[in-house]
Amino acid sequence: MEFEINGARASIPEAMREDRLLWVLRDAFGLRGPRYGCGVGACGACTVHVDGRAERSCLLTAGDVAARRVVTLEGLGAGRTDGLHPVQRAWIEERVPQCGYCQNGQIMTAAALLGAAPPADSEEVAATLDTVLCRCGTHDRIRRAIARARVLVREGA
Amino acid sequence: MGWSRRRVLAALGWSAAGIVAVAAWGGARAGLPPLPHRRPPTTADAAFWASLRPDGTVEIASPRAEMGQGIATALRRIAAEETGVGFARVSFVHPRTDRMPPSRATVGSDSIADFAPLLAKACAALALAARRRAAAALGVPVGEIRILGDAALAEDGRAVPLADLARAPLVLDAEAVDGATARSLDPTSARSVIGTAQEPDGIRALITGARPLFADDVRLAHMVFGAVLRPPRLGARLEWVDDGAARDLAGYIGLRRDGAFAGILARTQGTLERALALVETRWSGGTRASQPEIDAAVDIDRDHPDGGSEHGLRDDPVDDEAPFDVALRLEVPMAAHAAMEPRSAVARLLDGRLEVWTGSQDVTFVRRVLADALDLDEARVVVHGQRLGGGFGGRTICTVELEAARLARASGLPVKVRWSREDEFGHAFHRPPSTHRIEARLTPEGRIAAWRHRFRSGHVVFTSAAMGPLLQRATSFVADPGVARGAVPPYAIGALHVGFEDVRLPVDTGPWRGLGAAPNVWAVETAIDALARAAGQDTLAFRLANLGPDAARLARCLARVATLSRWSERRATPELGYGVACGVYKEKSFAAVVAEVRLEGVRPRVTHLWCAHDCGLVIDPDGVRAQIEGNLVWGIGTALHERLELADGRVAAGNFTDYAIARSTDVPSMTIDLVDEGDPPSGAGETAIVAAPAAITNAIAAITGRTVTRLPHDPSRG
Repeated sequence: MEFEINGARASIPEAMREDRLLWVLRDAFGLRGPRYGCGVGACGACTVHVDGRAERSCLLTAGDVAARRVVTLEGLGAGRTDGLHPVQRAWIEERVPQCGYCQNGQIMTAAALLGAAPPADSEEVAATLDTVLCRCGTHDRIRRAIARARVLVREGA
Repeated sequence: MGWSRRRVLAALGWSAAGIVAVAAWGGARAGLPPLPHRRPPTTADAAFWASLRPDGTVEIASPRAEMGQGIATALRRIAAEETGVGFARVSFVHPRTDRMPPSRATVGSDSIADFAPLLAKACAALALAARRRAAAALGVPVGEIRILGDAALAEDGRAVPLADLARAPLVLDAEAVDGATARSLDPTSARSVIGTAQEPDGIRALITGARPLFADDVRLAHMVFGAVLRPPRLGARLEWVDDGAARDLAGYIGLRRDGAFAGILARTQGTLERALALVETRWSGGTRASQPEIDAAVDIDRDHPDGGSEHGLRDDPVDDEAPFDVALRLEVPMAAHAAMEPRSAVARLLDGRLEVWTGSQDVTFVRRVLADALDLDEARVVVHGQRLGGGFGGRTICTVELEAARLARASGLPVKVRWSREDEFGHAFHRPPSTHRIEARLTPEGRIAAWRHRFRSGHVVFTSAAMGPLLQRATSFVADPGVARGAVPPYAIGALHVGFEDVRLPVDTGPWRGLGAAPNVWAVETAIDALARAAGQDTLAFRLANLGPDAARLARCLARVATLSRWSERRATPELGYGVACGVYKEKSFAAVVAEVRLEGVRPRVTHLWCAHDCGLVIDPDGVRAQIEGNLVWGIGTALHERLELADGRVAAGNFTDYAIARSTDVPSMTIDLVDEGDPPSGAGETAIVAAPAAITNAIAAITGRTVTRLPHDPSRG
């Protein structure tokens, strides 16, 4: 069973077909971006892009992404200046993370919303980010970083 | 106490140095249960925290864990300021038991106050030692050498690369640290790194996944996955277990039992999860307690209807003869830490040597518990601290580390154990519930004549999670300092009585951000607000008028937040209200908060927060602001959302679907004023949380006219 992961074709071991995509990405592919936070799709820490859409990898099985295109935090900035997506650059400029554990979900969710055609408006961004939990209290900085990233995306950074 | 210089030097990159080991940390154990390390750090400890690496960079072997509070960035700034090598040439190593002497847990917001001055001295000693080598190499007095970036420079313009000076190991001792003069934390000295903008430690890895950071990022060769069988009710014992149905699963390794402990192992996490669902168990005993029993256990009105508390903090007599102007019963529920990272650990036992990788606030204590439980000499146990995905007081005892170690021993394989979110809610310890009675009386002039605050709480520092019933009973002669924290008000009061009782609950409770100070100051500041209204005074002016003579820094915060929020020009409406509260953390840090709250129907929404915050010298302004923002957001959660209950012997919430924390739309923009007026640096990790909840509930009270007496605020109760 094959899929595309961060631009490369790869095969998923048959024995892992029913495993959560999250564990397959972390344990079989050694990726660190998607993180386990709740296992029920309630926190967003495990978010990845599947065919360009933000999906919670704890709710998908590896089999669900057969023949599909999966991008994780590691692959988000591929081909960009400094290897950073505009959202990631904005994240550094606003110094968003505290513990950092949830930030994969925040960044991947924001990048999918801003990368959509047309990009999501700020109301949709706010509603969607309400479902990505952060315990450290970085919410206000996340909003500021997204506003900054929106400008960077528009400028084609 | 000796230690292994050879191992540290090897880890630093001097493996060829051939230094002989003296002794190892640890040594004989006395047969007592392991206890956390309490001794404050010394210059002898600090000698091991700062090193010059062979490549001429400075490395901090940190005694403090990084859990999002930004201590790595702060300590790197101090080392850079003190040595002159520049921020980018200072690296941070998370606490590791083989790299630093035993250390107190990373708790209590004391990393900067208690550790930074010693680290600064160690770095000053390191710089001096390097300058001496440079002086000898160039044949000039040491006073003519300074370090700038990657080289030591003489006044005549000649330079020696630091890497050349580090060819032979440069090792500090207590004497060198004692003799060094640090200048980086002197509020009057000029600084180039402290207080300036720097890129936070590790931020690029955090936002790209580029390198391992957290315990769950650790992967070892041949590593397998383990899970512990959990009781359906707290305290239940495993009577019978059958894993027959799981044995057919490809990749299932098996069941391992060791008395009451039982766990299963599998080659993948997926197989492990499937197996866990197939294992059959039978349990006996355990508690069947539900929330009414918890409520009764911490009910301040039970048993002691007319005063008398187990532990007196202030003992002036307060008579009941005249009526009180304010008499409140206040209730605080149990709450979860809910760090976004569920704990995990990797353990490997090889040739009688145990290594554990974990995100812990206390690697020293974890090592002691592991050595004791597995009957190993402490010198044969190494705990590699990793970045924590949030700590908040919840990662201060040994839990998942011992589970991974037991399964590693039982299987002979390296084992990773990941707690599920359900494990975190159901089997970790929590903020204790408490109830409070505050009665207070005014003088005719509007001063506070009498104040009596009695409360009853589950344990905090004497946590049931780490102490058996006997040990905990033995502590009943001593007030739990965590429960007591923040209870004595900072106001000038004629007759002051503060007392409390700490009770053992059927659910584990322990330290939670701010410890007792968060609920206690909420109770105090709720009552002060009610007292101000009873006196017919402005709530902020009443505080300023009544603060005690020792509360000058708190008064300054109040005055600054009044200016910041334009308090005197505020315009309340039937839907919009403003509340203020202030508080002190550990007599060292000060905060005043103003909240603007809008009622949407009956539901309150916090629409702005202002905070004036004084933690003395600010080493990392952006980091301190981030901590304050976090504290304010916890204030929102505490005031409006967080409540954990017990139901039929188990924690009722299993996941974030059942437990609300503050979310993005709950969080307003925040305006923060850092007060830095020449006082020494203290701490910012849990200061604003003492003031934020009451500022919010006082704003609600300002709208509704009814004091909020229960957390979280329940709109349906008005």
